[in-house]
Amino acid sequence: MSYINNMIIDGLAFGIPLFIMAVGAIYSEKSGITNLAVEGFQGFGAFCGAVLATLLSLNTSLGGQTILYLAMITAFIGGAIYAILHALLCIKFRADQVISGVVINILAVALTTFLTSQISGVLYGNASNKFMLGVSSRFSVPGISAIPVIGAIFTNVYPFEVIILIMAVFLWYLMYKSKFGMRLRACGENPQAVDAAGGDVAKTRFISVMISGGLSGFGGMCFAYSVLSMFSPSIYLGYGYLAIAAMIFGNWNIIPTFFVCLFFGLAKAGGNQLCLRMGLASIYNDLFMMIPYILTLVLLMFFSKRNHPPKAAGEAYDKGKR
Amino acid sequence: MNNEKKMNEKGFKATLARFLTNEKWSGFTVPLFCIVLMLIVSSIFLLILGKNPGTAFISFLAGNGMAMKASYGAGSGMLSDFFQFLNVMAPMLLAALAFIFAYRCGLFNIGIAGQMLLSGFVASITVGYMKDLSPWVARPLVVLVGIVVGAALGAVVGFLKYKFNIHEVVSTIMINYIISYLTGFFINSKFVDPVSRASKVISPASRLTMTKVLIGGFYCNVPLGIIIAIVMAFVVHFIFEKTVFGFELRAVGSNRNAARYAGINVGKQIIFSMMISGILAGLAGVTYYLGYTNQILPKTLAGMGYDAIATALLGNSSPLGAILASMLITVFQNGSNYMSSVLGVAKEIASVITGILLLFSACGGFFRFVAKGYLDRLEDYKAAEAKERARQEAEKKEGGADA
Repeated sequence: MSYINNMIIDGLAFGIPLFIMAVGAIYSEKSGITNLAVEGFQGFGAFCGAVLATLLSLNTSLGGQTILYLAMITAFIGGAIYAILHALLCIKFRADQVISGVVINILAVALTTFLTSQISGVLYGNASNKFMLGVSSRFSVPGISAIPVIGAIFTNVYPFEVIILIMAVFLWYLMYKSKFGMRLRACGENPQAVDAAGGDVAKTRFISVMISGGLSGFGGMCFAYSVLSMFSPSIYLGYGYLAIAAMIFGNWNIIPTFFVCLFFGLAKAGGNQLCLRMGLASIYNDLFMMIPYILTLVLLMFFSKRNHPPKAAGEAYDKGKR
Repeated sequence: MNNEKKMNEKGFKATLARFLTNEKWSGFTVPLFCIVLMLIVSSIFLLILGKNPGTAFISFLAGNGMAMKASYGAGSGMLSDFFQFLNVMAPMLLAALAFIFAYRCGLFNIGIAGQMLLSGFVASITVGYMKDLSPWVARPLVVLVGIVVGAALGAVVGFLKYKFNIHEVVSTIMINYIISYLTGFFINSKFVDPVSRASKVISPASRLTMTKVLIGGFYCNVPLGIIIAIVMAFVVHFIFEKTVFGFELRAVGSNRNAARYAGINVGKQIIFSMMISGILAGLAGVTYYLGYTNQILPKTLAGMGYDAIATALLGNSSPLGAILASMLITVFQNGSNYMSSVLGVAKEIASVITGILLLFSACGGFFRFVAKGYLDRLEDYKAAEAKERARQEAEKKEGGADA
């Protein structure tokens, strides 16, 4: 039984940060900007948060959890600011959006690795490639967590999981029920119509990409505070690309994507637990990590006709185009 | 007229704009402009860190055997450094060619890193671990394995695109990670070297780089891959410029529908171009994993697979331009260790510089667009000015007649 409990606990802890990154990707793509830069956004955001956390823990007497929340806010802001670069390249400079995404990723890896060694050299005297952060505290809901299986959902929960779910509800409302959201989705389907109706395509897209960067940065910080317990170049493990896979699997919609992310998380955690139970070496985890990617490919093979990426995604907005 | 700023057609701006839009040379001048911008920005970056940019750039060159280092170890010299530079450049150029081949046909091959890894892995476990093989047999076999694996992977991506309409960016990303985990699993479970945590070292006979060859009194690692790479650059150039097949590929790349109406079999072209792109990536993989290095780190996709996109962009997606571009990018990547030891800056700054260069290269089209816009406005201004002058002259004449 404890295997199943552990699978649910770890699966949620992995799947929910992945989900918020995928929501970020959805915001950008729905507004018509192809976003391959999630990987870079999450790394850069987490880097900003980690720098703040390190500075605060060295210079102030703030508690670990307070620092964590401040770091998460910083990660959101840092990711959003870094995303301006992608927005500028795609919207103002009309660069190819796929290429821009790749550029943003390469630059993020290079910049954060370089700055990490520079800053840690200043702070600690000797340069290292990581900031140690520790793991966020967890809580269990008394009573409910004692119920078998379902109780696992309420056991050892990271506080950020709750924050993400609240954010997700708000983001869902913003995208599907608000004026801004409708305009955003229209920008991804028919930007000319938005322009004709008096909307500002460039501005809407710019904001969406920044939201996307912020959410990705937040997600990256969650990984830094849970799975990795530090910030180092190992944060570029490809979770950003996994979020993109989840978005495609979820057909660019927030609610299906949520279930896909949960499934990815449970598959990963389930694989881990299975390895433990069968006494296999940890290298067998790699085989389970392949599952989400293979599934996405297979699913696309059968359902690519029913998959609807936003129509205008990937094209710079051209007023004169019909 | 009065409210417009005075424009000077011989000024710096106009000269620069002409320089960038020149039809014959813009493929060369725009990347040059990007390089100049990159040098300025990275100099500022270095100055902020309190380092001398001049020293930095010279030590980048020295790290590649293009300038003298302060001191050399026994048996090594500028020539050894230069051969090491060629060792890195060979896979870089091949990977850039792989990106270019697909890009010219309107496809993004983001999966170069994965294609490199799988072909390097298969070549290592088949030929690399075979004992008692003559180099004359082993090396061609390695190249052959690279070609076959790369072609198969590329064809799969092309087929998925043609048959199931799966975007190649999506499928290559998925395949990259599948390959990374799969090869990681096999290396860790079967072929791991317990000390280095990487795969076991391949036999020297199968390595495409001949190590410790004595040339002019220096020990050099001579890469055979660089010959393959340069030959391939010319082959790709020939295919694009001189063959019907290459023309059709470019036609599909510039307008898929027009190509279809012109009777070109678009699906076939897509599969072929991905396949050839895969072959080039496979060659890059074997020259990287069985040449530049001789083992594979598990679960690590080579950053070169992505840097190649920078190289291709900088080379204006032309195969011959890629030769120059890969030289430049390699200077930064390969010279970073020496630069780091001279300046005491973390060597990752080389990647930062590459990243900045990429950023500007991605805006190449925008620079051209702005320059052209400026020249158009200049033309309008000149025309308006001429008109104004003619009017004034006419007025003067009228005035004269009255008097």
